[in-house]
Amino acid sequence: MNRRVLAIDALALPDHHYLDGDDTCYYAGEYTAGEGHAYSDTNQLILNLKKSVDRRGRPEWRYKELAISQAAAILRGALKERARLTLVPVPPSKARTDPEYDDRMLRLLQQVSAGRPYDVRELVVQVNSTPAAHLAERRPTPDELVANYRLDERLAEPAPDTIFIVDDVLTTGCHYKAVKQVLQRRFPDATIRGLFVARRVPKSAFDAFDVLE
Amino acid sequence: METQHASDSETAAVLNHEPIVPSREMAAYEALWTRRKTSFKTLAECFRTHPNTMPSELVSPQEIEQALSAVMEKISRASIGEFGVRLHGSVDYPARLRDAANPVELLYYRGWWDLIDAPKRIAVVGSRGVSEDGARRTRRLVRLLVEAGYTIVSGLAKGVDTVAHTTAIACGGKTIAVIGTPITEAYPPENRQLQEEIAEHYLLISQVPICRYAEQDYRSNRLFFPERNVTMSAISQATVIVEASDTSGTLAQARAALQQGRKLFILDSCFQNPDLSWPRHFEAQGAIRVSSIDDIQAALE
Repeated sequence: MNRRVLAIDALALPDHHYLDGDDTCYYAGEYTAGEGHAYSDTNQLILNLKKSVDRRGRPEWRYKELAISQAAAILRGALKERARLTLVPVPPSKARTDPEYDDRMLRLLQQVSAGRPYDVRELVVQVNSTPAAHLAERRPTPDELVANYRLDERLAEPAPDTIFIVDDVLTTGCHYKAVKQVLQRRFPDATIRGLFVARRVPKSAFDAFDVLE
Repeated sequence: METQHASDSETAAVLNHEPIVPSREMAAYEALWTRRKTSFKTLAECFRTHPNTMPSELVSPQEIEQALSAVMEKISRASIGEFGVRLHGSVDYPARLRDAANPVELLYYRGWWDLIDAPKRIAVVGSRGVSEDGARRTRRLVRLLVEAGYTIVSGLAKGVDTVAHTTAIACGGKTIAVIGTPITEAYPPENRQLQEEIAEHYLLISQVPICRYAEQDYRSNRLFFPERNVTMSAISQATVIVEASDTSGTLAQARAALQQGRKLFILDSCFQNPDLSWPRHFEAQGAIRVSSIDDIQAALE
């Protein structure tokens, strides 16, 4: 069954610090894991998606691959088969050359678009690797992220009409806002929305995210 | 409070279905319940006849607007900070709720939703006027179940339910309360503190419409209690009845468990009481008589 996505509404908005009433963001599930437990399908899915790349080659790695396929199937189920849209992944925090570089969102989007006319473009790239958030003194603001983002001009034509910025978890909305800002500057006429596998409810324990974001 | 309407043509061009706006659906659910004849039965029938329909598609935008301000006012007056809803048709709605005869379309919750999928969930229920022996049996049973890794589901009523929740917490276990009042109310009032504790550290669930409950008197509202037993059974893998009279509301859960294909355990002590007919009645329909936790585990594992 194709289940519906949910929209960030006035009730959920305060949970995502950087979003405002002008942002239209959709999500499939809620990340609600607590200290010492992560039982629900959505929570398991997110933890597996975020599994650190240093686990590559271990038996548990297949759970990450499986999670990418499951998340792709959820987003595929929500999108119209023949829709004309551009899917832009939030860039990974590590540069391509970094051993911790994780291209899960790109691979997820490739699965979402398989056999469909969607246009997957890594339009926004990060210039320098950022330190893991738990090592940084504080989390960056969208403006600080923008300073480290660049629009990949080689991919800019043709100009997209409808863009979905896609990420696995919506937390503060910081990365979404930064990517949106870069895209809006270059494509002022495009409609830009967010699409997330899950949104994090504030109560949830997210140590794993601090390490991986 | 304004709701966001995401129903523009661009969205319709790219998404298979209209996205769910949770606050809007919550208001629409409340609006459906303000219609006098509404019951869980009529609602379930309505959604059976209109599959893949959301509550907001069955009421007018004016009704939604009105219900939204009414319900938000009641929630804020009850000083509830964090709460959420779960809607049929979205990823996080537990599929096993559809095993109920009249499945609910919307649930309110507070606390750690994640516990809904704790791997081992067992409901422990029984009389409000529990005997001393019954309370002792409940404590012992819950302690052993917690040690065996079970999450204890109960209804936050007086008696067995209260003992089940408090023992689970005291033993370092996890617990889920499925209440027969809206999240804005507590019953019995002396359990308000316990309800808050469960909402803060565990999981509290209610299917009861907030506005309808506030508008009608206790005689009508008490009909919500057996309805929540049906949901409690549906979210659990099994139900244990510790103690109950022949007219107890607990028996609503016994019927629901068997109807939903869940295991129903009845403590052997219930069979020892010659005045009771229900234990044998349900045993004949498939309930399992148990005298130790080993009997329960053997049947479940």
